[in-house]
This record gives sequence, structure tokens and C-alpha cells, in this order.
Amino acid sequence: MAAPPWRSSTGGVSYTAVAARRTLGGPKPGSHAPNGTSTSSPAPAGSSQGRTTFPDKLKQYVARTFEDCTDAEKPQVEAELKRIITDAFNEKVVWTVDWDKMPLPQQFIANRENEARSSGEARLSKGDTSPTRRSFGAFSLGDKKRKSPEQSEAKKLEKRIRSDNSYSSPSDELSQSDKEKRARRFGLNNPTPPSPQPSYEPVDTSKPLVGRCMNLEKRYLRLTSEADPNTVRPLHILKQTLELLKRKWRTEQNYAYICDQFKSLRQDLTVQHIKNEFTVSVYEIHARIALEKGDLGEYNQCQSQLANLYAEGIKGHKYEFKGYRILYLIHTCNRADMNDLLASLTPAEKADDHVKHALDVRSAMSVNNYHRLFKLYLNAPSMGAYLMDAFVNRERLAALSAICKAYRPDIDTRFVAEELGFEGDHDCITWLIENGGEEFIKQTTDEKGAPTGIRFLTSKAAATVEAAKGKAFHKVDIKGQV
Amino acid sequence: MFFTDLRSALVGQNALLLGTLFNPTNSDYSRSFAYSSNAAQINEVVRRELGSLRSAGFTNNGKEIMIETVVAFWNVVYELERSGVTTHREHDEGYWPKVYAAQRTVMGLVCRGFNTGGWANWMLPMLYSTCRYLREFAMAADDEDSKAENASSLEDAARHLNKGFTLCLSDRAPLPESRKWGTYYMANILFKTYFKLNSITLSKNVLKALEALGKDLPPIEQFPKSHIVTFKYYVGVINFLEEHYKAAEENLLTALQLCKSTASSRNHQLILTYLIPAHLITTHQVPSSDLFRNYPRLRTLFGPITAAIRSGNLQAFEAALEQNEDEYVKRRIYLTLERSRDIVLRNLFRKVFLISNKSTRIPVEDFRKAMGFSLAGKNGGLRKEIEAEEVECLLAGMIYKGLMKGYISRDYGKVVLSGTSAFPGTGV
Repeated sequence: MAAPPWRSSTGGVSYTAVAARRTLGGPKPGSHAPNGTSTSSPAPAGSSQGRTTFPDKLKQYVARTFEDCTDAEKPQVEAELKRIITDAFNEKVVWTVDWDKMPLPQQFIANRENEARSSGEARLSKGDTSPTRRSFGAFSLGDKKRKSPEQSEAKKLEKRIRSDNSYSSPSDELSQSDKEKRARRFGLNNPTPPSPQPSYEPVDTSKPLVGRCMNLEKRYLRLTSEADPNTVRPLHILKQTLELLKRKWRTEQNYAYICDQFKSLRQDLTVQHIKNEFTVSVYEIHARIALEKGDLGEYNQCQSQLANLYAEGIKGHKYEFKGYRILYLIHTCNRADMNDLLASLTPAEKADDHVKHALDVRSAMSVNNYHRLFKLYLNAPSMGAYLMDAFVNRERLAALSAICKAYRPDIDTRFVAEELGFEGDHDCITWLIENGGEEFIKQTTDEKGAPTGIRFLTSKAAATVEAAKGKAFHKVDIKGQV
Repeated sequence: MFFTDLRSALVGQNALLLGTLFNPTNSDYSRSFAYSSNAAQINEVVRRELGSLRSAGFTNNGKEIMIETVVAFWNVVYELERSGVTTHREHDEGYWPKVYAAQRTVMGLVCRGFNTGGWANWMLPMLYSTCRYLREFAMAADDEDSKAENASSLEDAARHLNKGFTLCLSDRAPLPESRKWGTYYMANILFKTYFKLNSITLSKNVLKALEALGKDLPPIEQFPKSHIVTFKYYVGVINFLEEHYKAAEENLLTALQLCKSTASSRNHQLILTYLIPAHLITTHQVPSSDLFRNYPRLRTLFGPITAAIRSGNLQAFEAALEQNEDEYVKRRIYLTLERSRDIVLRNLFRKVFLISNKSTRIPVEDFRKAMGFSLAGKNGGLRKEIEAEEVECLLAGMIYKGLMKGYISRDYGKVVLSGTSAFPGTGV
């Protein structure tokens, strides 16, 4: 069977690119393209031949593959070969690829193993000095909008690479060295060749996938298709990842980076159907970190997953998170769910410190007992206070409303500070000013003009405070709400 | 016998009888009907028995659907009877799911009969019966299937019931012939189902649909009373759960008043379970003990807590709340009842005011002591010391909510009360 005329004329000249490929998979994007004779898709050639016929060169390639293949490696080689050919068909390049120059499947397997091993080791040993970390360093919490040049370039490249990746856009103007440089850089953020190619094997959804990616770190990318095992990390790697992330969080406190990494960690767990105590601890740690940073949306996602995992009987800090759940429901004023939750509480749960604290908070709030509420706020166990932060402002305004109505004509700000759980008078006064109470704060003096205290003019402030309270209660809206 | 009665119901437009006939558990018919034929012949039998239906005003299509429906209905009855008789075991595995599946076929056909077969609106009771047992079989199937992780049959049933609801609500025929007369019955059965599924949100969707298309409905008073009572009850409970206590109270009160006094006291008790807490929140009034005379269940549920509220006994209130907590939570009234702690406190503070000879200046300390006694309870438990700041906080809450009139003068440690109405609405 003859190759199309336009193919045969150019021969294999441009196929040196194949050697540059770092791992596996079908022919590299653009590698066959620079022949320049045609910018149109090579697809017609393939389809005109029909899908069931094979080029002679491919037949030879297959023969070469099995020439000196031991029985032991046969299954693996067969799978790899099948993958290569299927891919070539899928991408309609089976007639255009120079099979003579195509590395044998054995080589792909070896390459992959080598790379996986070396990159895994490198990640482990380099630790904090890895360039990945530096590129992530560009995300910082207060710096969300501004992108460092490095990062935006990486983004651009990523996009570019993805769009370049389809076989039908063969014009790739990057020089070979550029390509290599790019691949190297990109490889740092992404363990596999920059090809979100469709998975090669027919996907059996009943069998959980097992990842083959050996990098500890991975950027989070929302999946839009079946997960590719090459970009998914298996459980033992994920365990190392968690340790790394814990260490990094302690030393660096870079939330944007940590959150991103945890999301990809969670994603890898999900696509591999891993549900065990490790999964629980991942969600718990992420939930705690999210709480610490006041990221309730992320926290809530973890919380709802945790609820499912606990329900399946997997061990973890069930009671602690039950307590958080109650506090969260208080925050969102979700009475229906609160009722369901109360109905489900067991005596053992009610006796737990976290749950008990949260229930006390709830009952204090049900009768507007702000005195008790803010004491509980100051004595919350574990991460409870972080959750209470979410609604403490609103409740302070509610309490101040009552104080304004009940005390006449004014009140010592120190009393307000104590009742509303402020750490000092100064914090309290700052808060009063922030909520429009500035004009109602008055310095008092004795006869000689020495300051005696700072009063808050409750009677006059009542209307202003009431309005601020109304506003604060109006907006309880969280992304990812359940 | 089944066919004789069916023919006479259809020809004589006997709605009640028609509804009864399509109750698959009706022992008057089910046994004989189930064994009157077999799966191979039932089609032919029904076709022969109902051959003369066109004279009863059925279109050809309407008649065909009726035949299919009766055949499907026979399947249900047969499934029900067969296992009950042939085996002495409880039931074969998959018994209820099979019955449910059969009933769902009937449901689909009945809907089609009304939609495309030109069935007249007097036949609505047939829809009612079908829906009722669809729901019951779904629940039985879920019970039997509780271990399996299949999607719930009841959820599936809810979707079919919703079709039945739309079938009634959106009928555009002139009122006398309209299926709109079935709207409230269908809304009620949906509420019932959604409550069972614990999905109040879906119930609200029903209300929204009614609101959107309801202007074309006949006035609610013209519907059968039983439909109205149930409807008002559910609307009341939905409002109650949404914390719209005023609306809840109005609807529940209407339901209570329409509910026949001779009717089983069960309905009264159900209504009162929500009406009492709603009334407590809106008016701060507790029911008199007379109310409980006929309702022993309500007495155990509300007797102790209302007594504690009335006497301002904090300890008794907490005890009552705790004692009935499970039941309250189950009925979704716990969070509402808990809010009446304010009323307990108000009544306690009011007592302090009365003991002080209605003095308008009362030391905060007096209120603090009173709370200590009240929390200790009658039986001389340990008197609990409350911090003065906490008492002030609770007093401030009372004043803020308008339960007390006055203000706190912190510099003097006193509460200054209004001379004319220190505790509004309580006579002092």
C-alpha cells in the first residue's frame, strides 16, 4: 500500500522531533508537521484508506516490536503497542507517521519508568528548593490579582500547548530548542508531556483507575473528561504529598498554593475511588486549613465529603467536625438542616466537647444571650473560633443593638468590650468606628480635665446600630452552600 | 362482581364507587378479581366485559385506555394476592418493588386516560385511589429495600404524583368539566410525599405552582372540606418551618375550624401540635389546660412545658424541653419551643416586679436572685449563681424585644421600669 504522494516526497526528514519526546503516547504534536507541504489536516488520507487497513510500515513496526520480546514483558508491550496504534488512528495520523523512525513500545515503557523514578526522587530530595515552589510562590493571598510575569507566561504556555496539541494544527513555529525548553519548563508543573490527550485505553468505569504519576506536586485543574492515569498520583505518592504539604504549610503559610495542591490531591483520591482513613485525614487537614484562612466555601466542600466518609464508618475526628457543622449551620441560619442534625445526635456525640460547645453556642444564640455567646467564643475548642469568626460580627451588632436599647443614656466602652468578647478596649472602639459609631463615642473627664473613660452614647446610637445590624443579617451567602 | 360494579360505576357516573373499585387492597373485590382470570386471558376478559363502554360516553381511545388500565390494575391485584396466599412466609423477596412497579403502570395509564383519552372529570376519584396506593406501595418497597442502595421508590413515585398534580392544575377545560377540582387533593398527596422525603423545598415548589396558576382555580371554599383541611394544614406547617408564624397560625386555625368536631381527634392533635407553638410565638399565650382534656397525647407533649412557661420556672422549663427533646425534634418544633424561654424569663421577671410592689426601680441584684431560685427549681436543687452581667444581658434582651418596658441604669445597678405598662400585654 503506497503512502500518499505528498508524504513520500518529504520522507522522514522532519521526524527528528520524535527523539525529543520525553515520555510516551502518540506522536508529539507538531513533530510531523513542519514538512510544510500541507497545512491541511492529514485526516483525509487516513480516512480514505478506511480504518481497518494498516500501512505496510506499521506492519513492519509491529513485527519489529515482537522480534525480541520476552514472554514476561509481552502483555505490557502489547498494551503499549495497542495504545500507540489506537492513538495514531484516533488522531488520524496512522498514514502520515513515519513508522520506521518510531521508537519501539519497549522504549516508551523504559523511558517512562526512568523518568518516573528520577522525578520522584528529585522531588523528594529537593524539597523546598524545587523550582515548582518558586513558581507557586507567585500566588499569595494578598496578591491574588497581580500575576507575576513568570506565572502568566506559564499560563499562556499552558494554553498554547493545549491548543497546539491537536494534530490538525500542524504549524508549530517554535524551534526545536525552544520546544525542548518549553517542555522542560512545563514539565516542572506537569509531570507528563503537555498533552491532555484523551485516554488511550477503553475506560472501564467499574474498575477504579490507578495513577502512574510520580510527582509529589500537581496543579489543580478541573477535569473535563476521563482522568488520565499518567497525571494521577497513586496512593503511596499521595501520602508523601500530604507530608510535604503539611511541612510546607507550617513553614510557608502560602494558602493559595496549599489550597490548590489539596484540591488536586483530593481530585486524585476521587478519580481513584480511594476512600480510607488517609482520605479522611486529607479532607480534615484541608478543612482545618481552610477554616484557619476563613475560606468557608472550601471548608464546606470538605465538610460534606467528610460527612459521607464518616457515614461509611471510616474513622476520623468525627465529633470535632460535627461540632464545626453545627457552628456552620448557625452561621448560615439553616434551621431545617439544624433540626435534622439535632435529631441525629447520639448521647455520645452530645457529650463530646466540640459538639457540646457548639450546642451551647446555639442555645445561647436562641435566646440572644450574648454574654454567654462571647464567653463561648473566647473559649472555643480546636478550630471552633475560626468558624465563629464568620458570624461574630453579625452577632456583635445584634448584641450592641440590644445594649443600645436597654442602657440609657450611655455606657462605658470597656463594658461593651467585655460583653462582646473583644480582646481590648482598643479593638472594641475600632470596631465601633468601623460600624459607623464614631460620632457616638465620647471621652469623659473629671473636674480637672483628666480623662476618666470612654463612653458610648447608646440612646443616640440606637438607630444607626440597628441599621448596621439589619445589613449584617441580610447577607449570608456562601459559594458551595449545602 | 368487579366488572358488574365497574360497568355500573362508569355508566351511572358513580364517582365514589369508581374510587373504591380502584383500591387494590379492597377485600370486597380483590380476591375474586385476582382469581377471575390469568395473565394470558385477562386482556380478552376485560375487552369482553367492557365492550359496551362506548354507550357510556367514552371515545374509542378513551375506552381502549380504560381496558389497558383495568388489565394493568388486575396485575397489581394479582401480585398482591398471589404471594399473600401461596406462601406462608412473610413475602417473597422483591414483592413490594414488584407491586409498586405494577401500580406505576396503572398510574401512567390513568394519567394518559385523562390527558388523551377524554376521561371526564367526575372520574377523578380513580386518579386519587391510584395515587394513594402508588405512594403506599412505594413506601413499602423502600422499607423492604432499605438495605439496597437503589434510588428510592418514593422519589420515583413523587415524580409520577407530580405529573398527576400538573394534570389537574393545568387543565384548561371550562370549570364544570375541569380537572382543576382535583388540584388540592393532588397537592396534598404531594405534600405528604415530600414531607416523608424530608424535602420541604419541593413542597414550596408546589405552593409556587399554585400561586402562578392559582388565579384560575375556583375559590378554595368550593372544594371538598377534606381537601381544604389537609391543604391548610400543610400550608400551615410549611409556613411554620419557614418561621412565618403569623401565616402558619392563620392556616392552621382555618384547618382546625373546618375539621369536623366528630372527626377523629387525630387530625385535631396534628394541627394543634403546630398551632400551639405558633400561637406561643405570635401572642406569647399558652393553651389552657382545658384544651388538653380531649387530647391526652397533647397533654404529655405540651403539659409540662406550658406549666413551666406559665409559672416562670426556668428549671422546669429546661427539664420539660430535655424530657421531650426527641419527640420535639422529630416533629420539628424543638427550635420553636426553645424560643419560648423568653416567655419563661418574662414571667419570672414579672413576678419580681409584682413582689416589689410594682416599684419602677428594681435592683439588678433582685433579678439575679430570682433567676438563681428559678434555675434551682422547686425541689430545692442547688441554687445556681448567675453572673450579674448575664442577668443584665437577658434583661437587655427582654427590653429589646419589647417584652419589658424600661431601661437599665448601669451606674446605679438598677432597672428603671415603665410606670404604666412594665410588661406589655400582661396587665401590669
